Formats: sequence, structure tokens, C-alpha cells
Amino acid sequence: MPIDRTTAPSPDPPRPYHFPHVTRTTLPNGLRVLVAENHNAPLVSLRALVRSGADHDTRQTAGLASLTADLLDEGAGDRDAIRLAEDVGILGGALATGADWDASYISLDVLSGNADPATAIFGDVIARPELPADGLERVRAERLNEILQQRNEPSAIAGKRFANLLYGTGAYGNSIIGNAETVSRLTIEDVRRFFEQHYIPNNSAVVVSGDIESAAAVALMDRALRDWPRRDEVPRPNVIAQEIDASRIYVIDRPQAVQSEIRVGHIGVARSSEDYFPLSVMNAIFGGVFNSRINLNLRERHGYTYGARSQFAFRRQAGPFVIAAPVRNEVTRESVSEVLAELRRIRTGDIEDYELDDTKSYLMGVFPATVQTASDIASRLVDMELYGLPEDYFDRYRENIAAVSKEGIAHVAQKYLDPDRVLIVIVGNAQEIREPLGTLGIPIHDLDIDGNKLAVG
Amino acid sequence: MLALEQYHLDNGLRVVLNEDHSAPLVAINLWYHVGSKNERPGRTGFAHLFEHMLFSGSQHVGNNEHFRYVQSVGGVLNGTTFFDRTNYFETLPSNYLALGLWLESDRMGFFLPALTQEKLDIQRDVVKEERRQRYDNVPYGTAFERLLNLSYSPDYSYHWPTIGSMEDLGAASLDDVRSFFSTWYRPDNCTLTIVGDFSSDEAKTLVDQYFGEIAPGGSFPPFDLERKPFGHEARETFASHVQLPRVYRLYHLPKMGEPDWIHADLLTTILAADKASRLDRALVHEQQIAQDVAMYVLPTESTGILMLQATAREGVQIEAIEAAVDEEIARVAIGGVTEDEMTRARNRAEIEFAHQLETFDARADLIGMMSTYFGDPTKVDRWLDPYRTATAENLAHVARKYLIPENRVTSLFIPET
Repeated sequence: MPIDRTTAPSPDPPRPYHFPHVTRTTLPNGLRVLVAENHNAPLVSLRALVRSGADHDTRQTAGLASLTADLLDEGAGDRDAIRLAEDVGILGGALATGADWDASYISLDVLSGNADPATAIFGDVIARPELPADGLERVRAERLNEILQQRNEPSAIAGKRFANLLYGTGAYGNSIIGNAETVSRLTIEDVRRFFEQHYIPNNSAVVVSGDIESAAAVALMDRALRDWPRRDEVPRPNVIAQEIDASRIYVIDRPQAVQSEIRVGHIGVARSSEDYFPLSVMNAIFGGVFNSRINLNLRERHGYTYGARSQFAFRRQAGPFVIAAPVRNEVTRESVSEVLAELRRIRTGDIEDYELDDTKSYLMGVFPATVQTASDIASRLVDMELYGLPEDYFDRYRENIAAVSKEGIAHVAQKYLDPDRVLIVIVGNAQEIREPLGTLGIPIHDLDIDGNKLAVG
Repeated sequence: MLALEQYHLDNGLRVVLNEDHSAPLVAINLWYHVGSKNERPGRTGFAHLFEHMLFSGSQHVGNNEHFRYVQSVGGVLNGTTFFDRTNYFETLPSNYLALGLWLESDRMGFFLPALTQEKLDIQRDVVKEERRQRYDNVPYGTAFERLLNLSYSPDYSYHWPTIGSMEDLGAASLDDVRSFFSTWYRPDNCTLTIVGDFSSDEAKTLVDQYFGEIAPGGSFPPFDLERKPFGHEARETFASHVQLPRVYRLYHLPKMGEPDWIHADLLTTILAADKASRLDRALVHEQQIAQDVAMYVLPTESTGILMLQATAREGVQIEAIEAAVDEEIARVAIGGVTEDEMTRARNRAEIEFAHQLETFDARADLIGMMSTYFGDPTKVDRWLDPYRTATAENLAHVARKYLIPENRVTSLFIPET
């Protein structure tokens, strides 16, 4: 008998998911060690978190945190840069270092049989890097060329200008990788000072995830890092945003552009916000997933874009709320107009039952699919440490999402979204897009790609 | 060894099952053996546009509902198109296996009744925006397209990239969609792979119920693709909106899986994978003339492709980069590679393969590829063997035979003045 295709089949009873058990230890020097065993694959993921990132950069030192992270693999222990890469390669390893706004990171993934020698290398990279002067010159030249390349990348230009207009000279207004001026000026002493102040065990945590016994993992980390000296922590500077008194459009002309890179947004909220869960659901409905309102509107209804998304950058301090969409030149005005209309609509609290139900069940159900690997699990533990999330966070995640109501969403939409005071940045072909944009009734300013104001002409 | 179970339905659908109860998830993955190489001039980009259409609903699934059904239960999904194949996949909580099979069978068997001109027009616009976003509006965005144009004669269908041309996208009609569907989207041109937390008996029953009644198609159209070597290097210099000059090269190889392709894969690790690899070390670390170098082989079925790219630092002429690249390649051709380098390259292959098997979705995709390109899903168990037995001499042979001017195509991107 043919099967009934007219309705979706009903599910079997759900099968339970358990986040791996986590062992937490603190070494005498204050270093936190987290271990999550997972023996599904013969892999081990090592992570280090240093709770200082580009938020410590000033206008004069923009790029310092990320330069320091980049220099960690320019030699460590008694290995120079090449020897370090060879030793990692022999273990079949992949070593990465980097910094974002909130922290600096090191990761080393290896086959589990190599966990022992890998941990020794890992310890040298985080606690005993060489930070050589000639290494800085190599990294500096590479960085200056990267900054140069970004001058032709519309998405990078839009992101940089948006952040700078929103945060001004505060840390979040910089670029994480710095700018040509600061990167040219920074010295090896600056790098070593940043390292000494921030790369300390009491400001850090290490995570081991994968195919290894917990006790063995702790012993390896203890051997590699127990001599890492403790020091006093440096206070975290406050990030200050510019007040937006009225909406403005900033157009950055890119005469060869065949698409407009649009950014619309304003200040968002910190990761520690008590409204984190309703905000997450609200953003998913608005622009966080494929079937969100702005993607269905701009992509599936109008065919203006390949994809439109929104995001709250939940950092330690309030990061931006930003909507991003690349659209073809001739629909730039319409796209901005639709985005603003969607912002107004979500604030009314008029949310369909299916939107709320679908989104909550997505957020609740998708978790196991996002933590399949040792590396995924390690990332989650790093997040927990960085943002001080409670130990039962992942166990209680589902109930926290389930508790979000339409009223809660309307409340956070009204509290945190303000369609009348948005920053709109558009990198595109000014000649084609500027005149139609004028009909939106929002003041337009012209900037060059470095953010200098141009005379309106 | 992976615990694989494979069989065919009467209509020709190949089914591969891999039970794994380590997470309450199930990955469903379909490889259709059709891609942009099955397009004809004048309709380039069609296979990929068609992939978009397959997300726009079928007889029992409304427009945009496919995404909604999967996401609303916590699933993740997508599809991709390449020269030789198109894949569709979702990872679901394992109690929703039947939902995934219902959705995939509906679009395999009951797609045409839901097709409308309006859906085609919207997806055509979306794909044009995809082309603008990823190719036309970004520096170096058209490099791969330009290389392909130079590498193959116009009647060889790797001549154009999967995204196709704006003009051809504009010309695609509803009749094209119907005919493409009827020709290629059928059970006997597909491998369905299921990996994860299910019982094999239950899965077989469901697969039979949902896919068993879909009719196989008739005979496949004749398809013959044979590359004719040019016998000399094809070269161009292209001025565009870029800040730094970059050399792009394509070297012809035997198709994926052939011994020389495997050896070339290992050689790319020795030449360009980390700071200790030869091109990185010489051009980026020591001479500091290059911003970056990259080298990799592509998973292609009809002919093999090795890609190389290197970006010049500000003020460095692209000729200096090409000369330095050629010098390093010559060192391998003449002096070979060391045992240390072989060990590092093999170990990297091991860990990358282990990572691919680690998630249900990547594992299912790998199995689908083995089935589609090699006709044997169990080849996944033997895939690493030739990597483990490769010798230093095998790699030097690749450098001597393939990494030579007559066998390459070069496109130099330079800043517009």
C-alpha cells in the first residue's frame, strides 16, 4: 500500500542527548583546566583561552592583541618558527592562534596517540613563546599587506566603517587587525609587554576534549604549565559607544560595485544580559536563520539578495546589533526600506504562533548537531569559561529557550531595537544608488573608504 | 572499517547505511550524479540553479516549507553543486528520520507538479545575486572562471564554472527545468546515504516505503568527455580592482583517486600547507616576497585539477613570485622530498581523514562521493591506503611529469593602473 505523503510523518519518541561530563581542576598557579572525554573518534583537541583580546587595544595600539597572538607560533620553547611547524606537522597536528574582541586563543588538534608530545608543544606556545623581533617584522609586513587588500573588499570596508562610526575611538571602533598607522608603529616591546601582562595562568583556561582519559589530560597540562608564573591581572577597559540621536546613512563610493553591501544597526547588548534568551529567539525570528523574516523577505520574496542576516554580537561588553545584506545596485533603496519596515514590525510584538514555535524548537533541537566533534565541544567549554556561564548551562539551555514567550520577545524588541535611531552604512556604486536613497528621508553623508567625510556634491 | 550496509532498490536507488549510536542524530545525504558538466553551452549555471529550485517545494511540500520542516525540529540542511555531482543533505534529531526521507523522496519523485514560473524567476534572481556576491563584486572573484576558460576547449564542459554566466541564467526556462529533472533526477542516478542513530531494519522499511514507488528514468543521454591536451601553456594577464598581484595556476592531473592524483595531493602538503612547507618557507617566511601561497587538488571525476595560487607583497613583481615558485618545484623534481616531509604529509592526510569521519554529515558525504565517483561506498575503508604506501619517488615523479609549463595554465591578476 502506498504511504500517505500528504502530511509530514510524525516523529518517534526523542532520544536523550547528554553533553559530555566535564572535569574541572585549578592548578596552583590559578590556571583552570577543563576536560571533556569523548571517545568517538581518535582525536584530541587542545584549547587555550586568555581572557584579554582586542578590547585592551587603544586607538594608538590597535592591532596589538592580534599581533601578539600571531607571534606565538614564530618560535616557542627551544624551537624556531620552522622547527615548531615541523614538530606540529610530525604529530599530524593543526596549530592556530588568534585574538578576537574578548580574548586570545590557541588551538592544537592532533590524533589522540600524539596527545602527550602535543601538550608539551602547546604549553610552550602559550607560556614560553620566543616573540622574536624578526618574527614581528615578518608578521607586520604580512599584516600591512592584509590591511591593504581589505581596501578592495566591500564586506570588510562596510564592517570596518560600521564599527568605527558606532564606537568611535573606543576599542570596538578599531579593527581587530589594527590599521596601517598603528601596525607600522608597534614594537616588539609592546608585544612582549602585552604578553607579560595578559598571558598569565590566572587570566587563562585550558581545555582538553576528545579521546583521552581525564586524569591523564590534567596530568599532561600540569606538567606543561605548572611553572607558568602567576601575576596580577590588568583591569579591563570600558568600551564606550557613540550615542545615535537620529538615523543617518553613510555612503562609501565604490564605482566598480555591482552590489551594495548594506549594514544597518546600532549598539546591542553584552553577553551577560539577563535578556540573552529572549534576544536570541527574537533575533532568530528576525534575521538569525534561513527562514527568518528578513531573509524570506529580501531573498525568497523579492530576490534582492543571496542572503540577509542579523546578529547581536554578544561580547563581554555591548557589541553591535547589525543587519547585513549584499543586494544589487538597483534595489538598494528598497532593501533598506524593507529592513526598516521589518524592524518596526517585530517591535509591534505581532508574532505568529508558528514563528515562535519553529524558532524555539530549532534552537532547542539543533544543539547536538553543533557539538559532534571534539573541537566543537572544546569551543563550547571555552565559551563557558570566557563568559562565566554556570556549570549546568548546557543542561538548562533547553528550558531557558522554552520559557521565552511572545510577550518576552515584544519586550526585548522594544527595549533593544530602535528603527528611528540606526546607523546605515552602504558600500556601493554612489552614482547609481545615492539618488534613490534620498527618497527615504534620512540624511545621507558621503565618506571615503578611510571614513573621511566628503563634501556632498 | 566502517560498518556499511549497501543495497539497491528495484528502481536502481543505491542505499548505504552506517549505524552509529554515539549521538541522537541522523545524517541523510543524497548524491545525484549530475553537475555543471552535464550542462550545454548557452545554459551554463543551470545545474546549480536547479539545485535552488529543489528547495522551493514539491507536490506535498510548500514553497520554503522544506527549510521550515527541517529547521523547526532542530535540523540543519543544505545542498551544493560541482562539476560532476549535486548533493543534498540534512542532519536531524534521530527521531525525525522519517521526516527527512519524506522530504527527500517528495522532491525526487513529485517535484514537477509544484513547479511555477514565479519560483524560477525568484531563484534566478537569487542565483544572480550569489554570482555578484561571490564572483563579480570581490577582488579575484573571477579567477577560477578565467582559469577554466583558458584550461579547456569550449566543448569540454569544465570550461565554465558551476555558477554559470548571467546571460545563460537569464535564458533558463521552465522547459529546461522539466527536462533536466526528468533526465537526471531519478533513483537510478542517486546514492542515498544514512549515517547515525537508527536501526537498520527500520531504515530499510522507511526507505522502501518512501522511495520504492519512484520510477526509474529511461536511458541516460550519451555523455562523452575527453580532454585534449593543448601541448603548451595557456597564459593571460588580467588587470582588475585588486591591490596585490596574484598568480593563479591550474595543472592538469589524472582524475581523482588515480595514483598520481593521490601523490599530487601529498605533494601539495609538502609544498604549501604550513610554515614548514617549501613554498611557504621560501616565499613567505625567508624571502618575504609573497603574502600567501596555496596549493590543493580538487575532487573531480572527469579529469584532475591541481590549483596553485600565490600573492605578491606590495612592491613585488609577479614575475619574481612565478620564478620563486618554479624554483621550488624544480627542487622537488630534481632533488626529491625528504622522509621527514613524507611523514608530515601522511600524518596530515590521516588527521584530515579522521576529521571527515568524525561527524555524521561529513562521513555520509564522503560515502556518497565514493559511491558516485568510484561505484563503491566501501572504498572509504581503503581510501588512505595509497597515501600510506606512497614513496618520496612517487612525489618527485608528479613534479617532473605534471608540474611543468606545457601542462599548466596561468592567469596573472594585476592591479589596474
